Amino acid sequence: MNRVLIYFALAGVAAVLQTVLLPLLLQGDYKPDLVLLLVVYLGLHEDRWRGGLIVYLMGWFFDGVGGAFPGLNGFVMLAIFLSVRGIVSRVNTDSSILLLLLVMAGTILQSFLVAFALDFFRQDISVISQIAWQLPTQLLLNFVAAVVLLRLTVWLQRTFLPRRDLPGLRKLDRRYES
Amino acid sequence: MWEWWQRNRPLLLGAVLLLMALLWYSVNLRQQDETSFLERMVLGLTGPVQAGLDQVISGAADVWGHYLYLIDTEEDNRELIESNRQLSATLAENNEVRLENDRLRRLLDFKETQEIATLPARVIAEDATSWFRTITIDKGSVQGVVEGMPVVVAEGVVGRIVRSSTHFSRVLLITDASSAVASLLQSNRARGISRGKGERLVFDFVLRQEEVRVGDRVVTSGMGGVFPKGLVVGDVQSVDRQEYGLFQAIEVIPAVDFSHLEEVLILLRRPQ
Repeated sequence: MNRVLIYFALAGVAAVLQTVLLPLLLQGDYKPDLVLLLVVYLGLHEDRWRGGLIVYLMGWFFDGVGGAFPGLNGFVMLAIFLSVRGIVSRVNTDSSILLLLLVMAGTILQSFLVAFALDFFRQDISVISQIAWQLPTQLLLNFVAAVVLLRLTVWLQRTFLPRRDLPGLRKLDRRYES
Repeated sequence: MWEWWQRNRPLLLGAVLLLMALLWYSVNLRQQDETSFLERMVLGLTGPVQAGLDQVISGAADVWGHYLYLIDTEEDNRELIESNRQLSATLAENNEVRLENDRLRRLLDFKETQEIATLPARVIAEDATSWFRTITIDKGSVQGVVEGMPVVVAEGVVGRIVRSSTHFSRVLLITDASSAVASLLQSNRARGISRGKGERLVFDFVLRQEEVRVGDRVVTSGMGGVFPKGLVVGDVQSVDRQEYGLFQAIEVIPAVDFSHLEEVLILLRRPQ
């Protein structure tokens, strides 16, 4: 239960950062998707049902602060979560590079699903060209945000909780790197 | 059969879950013009945090801009710099007040030209994603704001209210891909639809034979039932009249600078 609350608290912090702080720091309408990082992390370390429910609810929460289509973020986040779950038994979930790669793949899948959900279900809307144009910048931003956040998380854990181990982040710690 | 089911169960259940989520999204598209209980709750919960953080950040930015960068100066000039700092801060503060005054005066002038009752609001947050263009403002249903109301500034159209909770509302900007504004060219009254396309707009459905020039002003036509007639949408940036086809491809630069929106006016009229 505590873990679930922490996930939702992190999603809340991400929402506030993405709506208030990051728009001030970054020019234009681009901002890194911190929740995507959380969804990928959940995909690697939570079980299908509990993680799926958390992610879907998180998506609904995000509909309140992003976009104007109820259920869209829930669908997109659930799809990304299930895709990550689909490959989790075949990969080393303790690898930091895998996490970064999955964030990149998640960004591409997210943009594709948003375009599909809008263009296919709403014939008066066409976002494919706009999303395709924005995708490279979004990929770069999400990658940089993922690297910075993961390093920061490991540093915080080593500094304040040296005896604890965050699942999936061990390989980010230099002590475990070859 | 049982073996096949056991082997493919995760995949099939995942697909069913996804399909249900997609169906739920599809069903919700029908009620898209109303704010759901959950959305009202999220707006109500995040709004105060966003408003508080917005104020803290503005305050911190002021302090940083006007004081902190002067701290590491030479010791012998300390007193002079101290007085200079205070003067700079006062001046900067005055400048900020003057700029705010200018903006509010322009809004007030604009407000007086409007026959419809208006409500000023402050922008407190932007959209959480890069794919959509919405903003959150600090006025809600308690102040009489409902979904569909137009939002404007002195320069032109900003967007329309799509979600509203008791004290906060979300505005869909005209630059969002799902936004469409019934518009016309001021010069020759050619009608069309202004659709959002990221930082720009496209002016769709203008017939090929219509004379359109770069720089022509695009205004609302009042036909959509949301925006009153005559509000500035933007200026034509490019015109592509292809050899074939019924319509021209026209790009429009919005009149409003959406990256510097701080205060807006809500036109208190219900959509028809």
